[in-house]
Amino acid sequence: MIEEFKSLSIDLRLAFQGGTLEPWNDQYFDEWALRVFEYQFESNPTYSSYCQKKGVTPSTLGGWSEIPPVPTSAFKVAPLISGDPSLVQRVFRTSGTTHGLQNRGEHHILDLELYRSSLLPNLRAHIYGDELNLRLLNLVPSPNEVPDSSLSFMLGEALSHLSDGDGGFFVRTDQGLDVDALGEAVTQATLEEKPIVLAGTAFAFVHWLDALAGSDCKFNLPPGSRILETGGFKGKSRTLSRPVLYEGLSKVFGVSIQWITNEYGMTELLSQFYEPMLTTSVKSLKERRHIGPPWMRTRVLDPNTLDPMPAGEHGILCHYDLANAGSVMAILTEDLGSLDSEGGLLIAGRLQGAESRGCSLAMDELFSELG
Amino acid sequence: MANLKAASLPKDFSCDLKWEKFDVDIRTKVSYPTLKMSEWQMLLKVLRDSEKTLKRKPVRDLVQIIGRVAERFLDPGDPIRSEALKWLPPISGISLEMAEVVLERMAKNWTNECLIKLLERELKAPEVLDGFQELDSGRKVRAIGPALSFHIGAGTVPGVSVSSMIRALLVKSTILLKPSKGDIALPVLFAKALAEEDLDLTTGIAVLYWPGGDNPAEEVILNNAEVVLAYGSNESVLDLKNRTPVTANFVPYYHRVSLGMIGRDALNSEEAVYVAKNTAVAVSMFDQRGCVSPHVLYVERGGDVNPKAWAGILAEEMARVEIEIPSGTLTINEAGSLQQVCGAAAIQESSGSDVKIYIGDQQCWAVIYQGDPGFTVSCQNRVVYVKPVSDLTEVPGLLHDFQSHLQTVAITGAGNRREDIATELGLVGVTRVTSFEHAPWPPLWWHHDGKSVLEGLIRWVDLENE
Repeated sequence: MIEEFKSLSIDLRLAFQGGTLEPWNDQYFDEWALRVFEYQFESNPTYSSYCQKKGVTPSTLGGWSEIPPVPTSAFKVAPLISGDPSLVQRVFRTSGTTHGLQNRGEHHILDLELYRSSLLPNLRAHIYGDELNLRLLNLVPSPNEVPDSSLSFMLGEALSHLSDGDGGFFVRTDQGLDVDALGEAVTQATLEEKPIVLAGTAFAFVHWLDALAGSDCKFNLPPGSRILETGGFKGKSRTLSRPVLYEGLSKVFGVSIQWITNEYGMTELLSQFYEPMLTTSVKSLKERRHIGPPWMRTRVLDPNTLDPMPAGEHGILCHYDLANAGSVMAILTEDLGSLDSEGGLLIAGRLQGAESRGCSLAMDELFSELG
Repeated sequence: MANLKAASLPKDFSCDLKWEKFDVDIRTKVSYPTLKMSEWQMLLKVLRDSEKTLKRKPVRDLVQIIGRVAERFLDPGDPIRSEALKWLPPISGISLEMAEVVLERMAKNWTNECLIKLLERELKAPEVLDGFQELDSGRKVRAIGPALSFHIGAGTVPGVSVSSMIRALLVKSTILLKPSKGDIALPVLFAKALAEEDLDLTTGIAVLYWPGGDNPAEEVILNNAEVVLAYGSNESVLDLKNRTPVTANFVPYYHRVSLGMIGRDALNSEEAVYVAKNTAVAVSMFDQRGCVSPHVLYVERGGDVNPKAWAGILAEEMARVEIEIPSGTLTINEAGSLQQVCGAAAIQESSGSDVKIYIGDQQCWAVIYQGDPGFTVSCQNRVVYVKPVSDLTEVPGLLHDFQSHLQTVAITGAGNRREDIATELGLVGVTRVTSFEHAPWPPLWWHHDGKSVLEGLIRWVDLENE
């Protein structure tokens, strides 16, 4: 079994080297998906039993879209490992509470190299482009401090491999955002006329903007600087609409909105989606779409039946990510969205928990109270 | 496209109102008036002006009027019943069969006999609402309802807002009721029927919907109401509380959670099925969106049927109820949450945990057996947890964290332990212990969330002896 994952992982990494912008044809993706499914079915007893109850086995499978997805909440109730659990290299954890399941989701990673081989070409294609060695200032804690954060890991890898170690992390879990150090780093970059990447969660950017609000402080980042925003407020700051947040960032940092972009990812997936700002002529915020690497596909499903929604209509997003070979590749999310005719993903938001329609207590209501 | 006019306004309030509308589904829309501030002022004046007439009406006359309206909703030949049954399914997202059951049971609770029982239990003599009565020594007492009560409805459980309206009317309060989006039809129809029944009631009651939140009229209303009755989530009730003047009486009904307990005495092979039938109905009623709906069922070990096996019996009964009283439509959020909850339970089951899940077609119901006895809250819409306990007396200890939200516990098969268990449940916050059969249908005179339902509405006047 061990050997099999190793060889599968090596083959996948080779395939990913083709880059994120070159599309894979249906047949190629299907072949890969079936190979990964077969491997997961054989090596993950929990998932295999789950699939069998749904009447799906590798021999019954007609194509990748028939692979049974597990909901993101499943990562909170059982380890989903396709392979030898003793070989898990890292456990990434989700940040908090949704759907009343208090415990954090856990994504057990058998091969960090596979994660790396998915995230790096994607970041390069959508954020760095040809400009290597952009300085990377991260508004997240360092991966050393939070080894269980997949986002910190990702930005740590970007710092090492795409920014040549030039940059740093400006959030400490105990102290929050280090506004002073960030200000100095940004000023320094401005003096050096060295373009930078500012990367962080939406709420970290809001905290920063709030901290700067009183000071009339403005930066004029060197041309070519860009901002990568990874979404997520989760009650950690006041919530701003995207246009307002981007407007604010643009004003304070002197970066045009075209150079502010969003990454959509989750702990349960080892590949990410980006709004391409380098490869397409960037449209207005409303017209922007997310795209994933060719080794990830998405279906939009009817939440009642899990049948596909008619083309272009909203539904629940279900992702099939080959980089998840070591866990489960088919993930049913809590995100709503649709696909356009070119495969671009329009994310419409997140399920609002089961908001109570009656006078009975809703799960999220209770658990937000219990913290 | 059918259009429900979501307002019943006093006869003396004649304005040329502007109407807005929203779509409920592809066949149904709701229109509601948008009042200018001057029109709100006028509406409040009309209500205020009608108070005297209302206060002069003998309480037993009001009982008769309300009772006659209730009978109309029970009469299969009455057009108002058909009207109610036309609107309830789309507006509340429930099936027609569910609407019929709910309307029948609710309206039976609003008849003369029940109204009198309520008044007698709460006030000893209903006539204290008409004048001074000597109920105890040293004084005479009189109960006076508010000049204006403001009711803010919530949720999709039909009948909750009407019950609120009835309680206020019994104490001769003029009423401004803002129904929730999911329970618009019944209060509007009920107010219209009251006006048809008695001319004096055509001026004292206003029911109208408006989208909540930033309507500046709410401040004006809150400043004019003597009593504010707020139904809804913790968040929305708190928001209203913060905006209500200290001089008004604020009566909160925030979201609650209920559960069930099945003792070993009820788990012999015959009774286990009977209990499962009643339990399935209690869980499925209102599609489990009621504050009285059980989320978790604690089943005692040591009976002929063990807890896990009983979960299977319950699943069969859930399927049967689904055929008789089908579940309603789900919002995308509800359906998505259900996928998460059921999918996670299925993974737990597949991982070898002590979990077993039964799911109805298209997830219209689910029974999730979990060996872990920890209390949890379901995602609603007929998803219920079955959990084993060695002894029912363990259950109160499992509920501590949920104290401020507990309401009903349905219990069966506890034998002579019933009262002791109820005592312990009361100490952890439960306010009603009942049977599964009665769980969905609290009597009109219940202590709603542990409170006397008329007390919050009236003030007492003492006339002490000379």
